[in-house]
Amino acid sequence: MAEIPSLGAMLAETARRLGSKEALIFEGRTISYRELDEQAGRTANALAALGIRTGDRVAIMLPNIPEFVYTFYGLQKLGAVAVPFNTMYKGREITHILNDSGARAIVALTGFANLINEIKTDVPGLEHIILTGQRTLLFAQEGATVFVQMVFDAGRFASSDAVFKATGAVLVSALKRLGVDDAWYKHQGSIRCDGKKIASILLSTFENLFIVNALVCIDRLEIDTFFKAVGVPPEVKDKVLEPMTSVREQTGSPVTIAVFRDAFMDAFQQQLDADIVSGSLSIIERFAYRQARRRPGEKIPKT
Amino acid sequence: MATTWRLIYNPAGHIADIPAVPAALAAGRRVGRCLPRCFRPPDTLVIQGIRGKGILAGADVVVDACEAEKHGIDIGAAPATKGRRAPKPAGTLRFEDITASAPAAFGAAACAPGDPAVILYTSGTTGMPKGVMLSHANFHAQCSLIVAQVFPLQQDDRLTVVLPLYHVYALANALVASVYFGASLCLIPQYSPALLLDAIAASRATILFAIPSMYMHLLTLARVRKTGIPQTLRLCVSGGAPLPRAVLSEFEKIFGTRIAEGYGLTETTSAVCLNESGETFRPGSIGPAAPGVEIKIVDDDGCELPDGHAGEIVIRSAVVSQGYWNNPQETAAVMRDGWLHTGDIGCRDHDGYFFITDRKKDLIIRGGFNISPREVEELLATHAAVQEAAVIGVMDKRGEEAVKAFVVLSPGASVSEKTLIEYCSMNLAPYKIPKMIEFRDALPRSAAGKVLKKELRTGYVDIRLMQQGDTAQEGGNG
Repeated sequence: MAEIPSLGAMLAETARRLGSKEALIFEGRTISYRELDEQAGRTANALAALGIRTGDRVAIMLPNIPEFVYTFYGLQKLGAVAVPFNTMYKGREITHILNDSGARAIVALTGFANLINEIKTDVPGLEHIILTGQRTLLFAQEGATVFVQMVFDAGRFASSDAVFKATGAVLVSALKRLGVDDAWYKHQGSIRCDGKKIASILLSTFENLFIVNALVCIDRLEIDTFFKAVGVPPEVKDKVLEPMTSVREQTGSPVTIAVFRDAFMDAFQQQLDADIVSGSLSIIERFAYRQARRRPGEKIPKT
Repeated sequence: MATTWRLIYNPAGHIADIPAVPAALAAGRRVGRCLPRCFRPPDTLVIQGIRGKGILAGADVVVDACEAEKHGIDIGAAPATKGRRAPKPAGTLRFEDITASAPAAFGAAACAPGDPAVILYTSGTTGMPKGVMLSHANFHAQCSLIVAQVFPLQQDDRLTVVLPLYHVYALANALVASVYFGASLCLIPQYSPALLLDAIAASRATILFAIPSMYMHLLTLARVRKTGIPQTLRLCVSGGAPLPRAVLSEFEKIFGTRIAEGYGLTETTSAVCLNESGETFRPGSIGPAAPGVEIKIVDDDGCELPDGHAGEIVIRSAVVSQGYWNNPQETAAVMRDGWLHTGDIGCRDHDGYFFITDRKKDLIIRGGFNISPREVEELLATHAAVQEAAVIGVMDKRGEEAVKAFVVLSPGASVSEKTLIEYCSMNLAPYKIPKMIEFRDALPRSAAGKVLKKELRTGYVDIRLMQQGDTAQEGGNG
């Protein structure tokens, strides 16, 4: 048995023999064995710097993209144990696998951040969430979806957890004002009614800023036509198709964006002891806005 | 002390405004840092809605602009998740950030051959999925014994893999085997018949791993296209379910290739038997044991049965897992005296070909994924309106196994089929969700109180139960 090389040593040996030969072909790109070996080495070093050691388990929740291969062989070089699992799994299934395997880290698609955040408190052993890929997909529809965003100094709240808590509390309170009585917020992700998602919250950091992106459903989203325009892998589609509900479905009466705005502002002012002043973009912000708009020819929003 | 926030209200914007407004605010804050405090932009709250319909898509999502226009859908680019200026979700790390700055050299850590390299979770007969430990030695054996001899991979081979790498079939035979043999691996992140066919052509693939439904789709597409069908495939492997004989023959003819059907489990690092088309092909068989694999048929006491007699299929080989992670009880139940007890019932003919005739395990297999009826039953029972549930596999219109649930409601409770299916879809991967729910007053039980699934199955053909000599064939159940 002694002559059996580990999977990590096997990649190093193949790269030594066949350095420039193509190892991976992905969307018209080729990646040589030398590049693969180096990427795996970088991943191993990066994980080691996070404290991942030989024998530790690391989960992989990725589709067939090169980062899956880099992570897999990076773990093999470390002598760590790869725990790849079905990208279609839901919170309950993922919680079981992460806890049972005792995974210390997970490498997942960026679009799964919300899902993993939501279960994080049920998986105390999970120390690192590492995200990759740009497969984010969001549908919006007039009268059905409202986007609530906040941009503020990181210093305003004690921690990112405090931001999640405050944002969740404001949204739940706004929804209750609109008659959605059983809205509840578990942790860092979604606001649900009978288990169905009515709003989701994603908190991002950028230098010394916090950026909150929340999506609230005020009416039913007609999803079918959207899929005529996008071809997405099942794991992305499935996350988009997660059972959703809306203010209208919960209360039986429609709500306009203006009514939602008023309820939200009431809740915001009360919960955060804040004054809200209507405003518009400054000259600098208008310039940045034009740069940020990918599609030319649209007017700057009137405020 | 009250804080002051600026509100920007944009009730009928364009989809591209949704990310552009907060991006502009963040950029304004960066610039504002150089300005006196009183000129700095304030903390801001944004409420936005859009006109019509819109899609926000990340850079890796393919949007069909023509179709979008036809349906009156506007398209916006989701904020980049790569690069210095990209915000990142709080409490997470970006793969690109942590790897870009890390050194490329890393000497592989010393591992014992028996150390686990991978843990793969698979559903068994007991509720939640179990972690199958696969060691460096298991993968080495799969490559050196089975892949090397049954479908020898060569350095100039190009493998196309659209099956997910998190499943043992693609993990062992593509991800690990391609590096073992120095072949090239063409990764396809999402399945559509046209994408797969184009990728085979573009990469001049020589080896294809797929499941029966994909072979059927490719064949249908090839019949329509007629020309430009790639002729580079020298071998195709099918597993997960039986591949109809007619499909196999026509596919081989049109693509100028050969198809081998594999049988294996997650616990055996994938295939342990291959039935190859050609002279050695036996209809209805899973093939002879692959090199380095011992298979025997045993009775309930573990005694080997003579040829032609049906019993449990047990396997001994270097590809067999050491057991389930953190679960000595389950391990002891299936690993006995060095033999893996598969739970599959079958027999062997005089030439050493194996046939599967029944399944001892209460298991449903859909698209190559195991489904534990108990896991679905347990989930259903957590719904307030459900007193108990029994789950079986039935054949759907496409000839695939689908989940059917029989539900007994709690006294006085009422719930619709739709609500229960929705409840499942919140908690289970899509392939495990019942396609049908039937409400019953009670479940049929034996004198000992055990639910009699055989009675529930009456009227449904169980596709797994192949009789010896059938034209269809049993595939692997990874």
